[in-house]
Amino acid sequence: MAQSFSAPRKRAAGPRFRIDLMPYLFILPAVIIYVIFNLGPVLASFFLSFFRWDLLSPTTEFIGFKHYNFILNDARFWNALSHNFIFLGLAVVIPVSMGLFLAVFIYEIRKGRVFFRAALFLPAIFSGVVIAYVWKWIYHPFAGVLNPILELVGLGAFTQSWLGNPKIALYSTFIAYTWASFGYSMVIFLAGLQDISTDIFDAARVDGANFRQKLFYITIPCLYDVFTFVITLRIFTAMGVFGVIYILTGGGPFYSSDVIDIYVFRMIGNYEMGWATAAATVNTVVVVFISTGFIKWREWRSWSS
Amino acid sequence: MELLSRRTQQRLRGLPFYLLLTLATVITLVPIIWVFASALKSNKEIRGNPLALPGEWRFQNYIDAWFGASFDAYFFNSIFITVTSVGLVLILSSLAAYSFAKMRFRGNQLLFFIFLFGMAFPLSAKLGPLLSLMYELNLANSRFGLILVYVAGSLPFAILMLRAFFQGFPQELEDSAALDGCSRFQFYLRILLPLSKPSLMALGIFVFMGTWNEFFQALLLINEDSKRTLPLGLTAFQDEYFTDFALSFAGINITAVPVIIVYIMFQRNLIEGITVGSLK
Repeated sequence: MAQSFSAPRKRAAGPRFRIDLMPYLFILPAVIIYVIFNLGPVLASFFLSFFRWDLLSPTTEFIGFKHYNFILNDARFWNALSHNFIFLGLAVVIPVSMGLFLAVFIYEIRKGRVFFRAALFLPAIFSGVVIAYVWKWIYHPFAGVLNPILELVGLGAFTQSWLGNPKIALYSTFIAYTWASFGYSMVIFLAGLQDISTDIFDAARVDGANFRQKLFYITIPCLYDVFTFVITLRIFTAMGVFGVIYILTGGGPFYSSDVIDIYVFRMIGNYEMGWATAAATVNTVVVVFISTGFIKWREWRSWSS
Repeated sequence: MELLSRRTQQRLRGLPFYLLLTLATVITLVPIIWVFASALKSNKEIRGNPLALPGEWRFQNYIDAWFGASFDAYFFNSIFITVTSVGLVLILSSLAAYSFAKMRFRGNQLLFFIFLFGMAFPLSAKLGPLLSLMYELNLANSRFGLILVYVAGSLPFAILMLRAFFQGFPQELEDSAALDGCSRFQFYLRILLPLSKPSLMALGIFVFMGTWNEFFQALLLINEDSKRTLPLGLTAFQDEYFTDFALSFAGINITAVPVIIVYIMFQRNLIEGITVGSLK
């Protein structure tokens, strides 16, 4: 029998069991960097949210839920969190359905699949900074292109200050976010579609199924797990949106497009570490609750049906 | 005859999809094309008609923008930080993923779960203590410090993806290598890595894009102009030149072009990195 690496090597004559250190040595460098610069700060953030501390003084003092008391009574915290929820609600519908339809269209054609996939994914490759500046100029009151286009097509009544109007600033940032995110959903859906056996689609065609029937009775049910993944990805990006909004509006005007990550960043900038870590912890609990709750619900639904 | 008409029929069936896709592509690409066109115009032209094409192509805008900020430093920092991070992520994650996928040891599941744990948190969950830690370790405002933060951030996904890939390797390969007297490290170096090239490539490009584009942590940890990465440098540039429209557009393009070039070269690898990681 061939000796396998995975079987613990024992000296036949040795009376003592030797621990095989190799597997640990392979993992060790990754563990060290990961624990110090990622997991450690996450756990520290949780524990330190119960202490009084700031960046400048090293002293800490246990104060229990005092920071949470402040955060949960701060209207701006709820204001920011509610904007994340608006983002979330829109993000799981708009970029996801755009991605689904474009993926289905690309799947339906023969020639040019690679071209359309590559071209439609293009905005998704840029940094949030580049995306934000592209849209900052599109919305710009003098140099921008959106208002002139609206006038050109006879929708002059809709021209306005896209980022200066507190009622719509958040939605203007959402458009920029969508432009850069639907491509992700699209390529993942497309890969999922290509994993579905073509026999099913052939059978449907023989039976004379039309586009709509194929979409609702084959494509969407077959992509069940892909949907779960794509939507989970949107949950994380919508709850953690930062760069695009930070640059487009900075959370303004009058906090009308403020979100949690900008709120936390502002707190850190003011050396309010207690509030920052408490807010970040509440946000983490919310994100973990929503994402795991969603995944569990999807699993439960697929079993029960 | 019948075959031909069927073919034409099929082509006609595809036509609406082509029309819709073309429309979507045009809408998607127009903002990018417009930014590139505007970067070649004069400020007067932009003010006069933001929609018009440039009258004469003023490439001077790019030169002015380049010298308007320390773009050479931003480029160097971005390339240095990104390339080093990608290299470190590939080495560390492939070592760890090999161990997780192919070796049996006490705590395998638990350690792997600890890595997975890191993917469940939003970025803001670590920022306060991270900033404090970086100051303590003298790694704030340092390229090396930023590299460590980026590597630590990419490791969970990288290990998850490579572990799934390595698990697909047949056991016989290892067994016969072991018979030939090949140590586990030799197996990793001489057999596993060369056979995993496509996966490492996909992962590498995916991590490259994420690191190159990162903004939030760079904003928090870097405050010296000479150490800024490109996204951070672009914000500084835009803050300074926001009244100079043409220069601002050129600055966006200077930042965007390298990403577009990498994308054109490695488009398949990048999309593979996204989809393989997601469907496993």
